[in-house]
Amino acid sequence: MWQHKDLLGLERLTSAEIEHILRTAKPMKEILMRPVKKLPTLRGKAVFNLFYEASTRTRTSFETAAKVLGADTASIAVAQSSVSKGETLLDTARTLEAMRPDLVVVRHQASGAAEFLANHLKAGVINAGDGQHEHPTQALLDLFTMWEKLGDLAGKKVVIVGDVLHSRVARSNVWGLTKLGVEVVLIGPPTLLPDEMRVLGVECRHDLDRALPGADVVMALRLQLERQQAGLFPSLREYSRAYGLTSERLKRTGKPTLVMHPGPMNRGVEISSELANSPRAVIEEQVTNGVAVRMALIYLLTGGTAHVVD
Amino acid sequence: MWWIKGATLVDPASGVKAQRDVLVQGENILAVSEHFSEQEVGALANGEKLETVNGEGKYLFPGLIDVHTHLREPGQEDKEDIASGAAAAVHGGFTTILAMANTTPPLDNRALVEFVLSQEQRAGLARVYPFGTVTKGMKGEELVEMLDLAEGGAIGFSDDGRNIQNSERFRLALEYAKLTGLPIVSHSEDVNLAQGGIMHQGEHAARLGLKGIPASAEAVMVARDLLLAAETGGNLHLAHISSKESVALIRAAKARGVKVSAEVNPHHLIFCDEDLTLTSTSLKVNPPLRSAADREALLEGLNDGTIDLIATDHAPHTWEEKARPLAEAPFGITGLETALAAVWQHLVVPGRLSIERLVQAWSTAPAQRFNLLGGSVKPGMPADLVLFDPNWRERIESETLYSKAQNTPFLGQELQGFPIWVWVGGNAVLQERRVVAR
Ligand SMILES: [Zn+2]
Repeated sequence: MWQHKDLLGLERLTSAEIEHILRTAKPMKEILMRPVKKLPTLRGKAVFNLFYEASTRTRTSFETAAKVLGADTASIAVAQSSVSKGETLLDTARTLEAMRPDLVVVRHQASGAAEFLANHLKAGVINAGDGQHEHPTQALLDLFTMWEKLGDLAGKKVVIVGDVLHSRVARSNVWGLTKLGVEVVLIGPPTLLPDEMRVLGVECRHDLDRALPGADVVMALRLQLERQQAGLFPSLREYSRAYGLTSERLKRTGKPTLVMHPGPMNRGVEISSELANSPRAVIEEQVTNGVAVRMALIYLLTGGTAHVVD
Repeated sequence: MWWIKGATLVDPASGVKAQRDVLVQGENILAVSEHFSEQEVGALANGEKLETVNGEGKYLFPGLIDVHTHLREPGQEDKEDIASGAAAAVHGGFTTILAMANTTPPLDNRALVEFVLSQEQRAGLARVYPFGTVTKGMKGEELVEMLDLAEGGAIGFSDDGRNIQNSERFRLALEYAKLTGLPIVSHSEDVNLAQGGIMHQGEHAARLGLKGIPASAEAVMVARDLLLAAETGGNLHLAHISSKESVALIRAAKARGVKVSAEVNPHHLIFCDEDLTLTSTSLKVNPPLRSAADREALLEGLNDGTIDLIATDHAPHTWEEKARPLAEAPFGITGLETALAAVWQHLVVPGRLSIERLVQAWSTAPAQRFNLLGGSVKPGMPADLVLFDPNWRERIESETLYSKAQNTPFLGQELQGFPIWVWVGGNAVLQERRVVAR
């Protein structure tokens, strides 16, 4: 079923492949919920984490996933090592290759960096976020969370609100959700959701309140506060008034809508504290599911078949 | 003496596109005729050694002139130097090239301009004329000593690679350069609009998650430059026009009588933003490859004379610099050795650009615009000639390129239509595709 050396993005996966990942993640989550969570499945396999952007959450999630499966992990803290000496990604790839990893997890500030690394490594590569391009494992954990809560996703409506332009999470989610038959609506101010985003093939609108009715899921994107200095929005106050999620606002959906956020949250900006703490918000469950989905991916990319887990 | 026999001469300057024999004696063209007999040639040679080149089935052009190249010397000789750039030029059919001033240090004083000219003499291949910068250190502030640079041999002034954002400084440059009679070449780009961009802003950039450079980043500055040229009566040439908005602005300005010239690069006529992928660093260039509609507008502008010249913007980089993620690779495409073949194959063969227009835009017009030798095939003119074989096929490989760089999107591809003989001042510097130093 799984034929790829790498996981670079969801744009190039089929719906069957996405569903296969989600189905593989289900038993992984069960393992994760056991009191003794350690499997010998991937004993002797080496998973390297190569993070050019600081992200404790994502890196820890991958490390945990690899360790539960019994793989050895190494984190290459790039910021403190060769990058400051100006080593290129190609040289880093060559050095990594010499250490014979089975899988490399990379996060990098440049769109396309994961694909670049995949082209230069025999090992599999998992994209843990490349520039503004894709963040496929985040989208897969979002899909898994929705699938667990809502069942079959075809025909459901998901509203994604915020800084879509700069968001690799939004891009990956759009590819994944649309392949599964979900109606996606992107919401943000024109400066963060310009017209050309229509290329993603989904509805793009600027008015959140009018898009909410009927939404099964509303996902808030993290707002980088520096965007205010860059002139993309005038103030947090105005942003939050137009696009901040609150319990009051969520009533417009007319449904018990799920509220999601890729984290870390700016409470009081893109999401109110009371909504984030409410039972509608599945933000902490997203974190658990993140480990399960990453276990599934590490498992599939190091050559696991669907049967070994059971 | 050289006797180039039976080729189809394409010389827009004399309105000729027909079979001609051309005789070259010393540095100059001696005679052009429909046909010379052995006796006539023997009499003209008068005992001098006679070498004959059969041009049947081939075209003879006046040597092509490329007004926009980056030769990287002094300072970045790992990318290119004047000798390798001049060799690449004749390998690609160019007898004269103009070298941009954004070297390290930039060509902002007479000594550096004279250094480039002395390196050109050592190389002994294509004619190389340097631009001086417009401002000291290319900082966009104080003007260079334009009179001194002009005396030293600068062919014009350009801060190419950067834009002079301060409109008053640019206006003053257009005014002061009148003392020299030389043109100012503008790299028209609004730095704030272009900031951090990787490729043309549009749907394809949105899909790839790459920051875009909007067409307005160019057009805003083209509009400014045109207004200032009109107001000052200055001598303005616009480099590497890439967008349909800029074409429309130039067309309207020319209709109003503004004296201005503009160039287009082959890559903007052949590729568009949809050809980029996240790993295609050989297509990363500034200004960026724009939309298919922009590409059409550029070709239309070239064909109706809105755009005067074709120029390569030959921008060599090392392999290592381009072996990076797209966002981190430098901007630039090499062009000297592939541009003629690519334009031939992609535009002339499908009938979108005539042979006459190609030669006019790449030889006749550049010679007139920059007041250069060459650009026509007439008795008494310097013998800068290209014998072009439309059937010659060649795979573009790093080993066969004379440039130090290989950052061309045609690497590994076969192209058809190459220069096989090139003469510069009567010297056969390219013979059967091999560069021969004097
Ligand atoms: Zn330029």
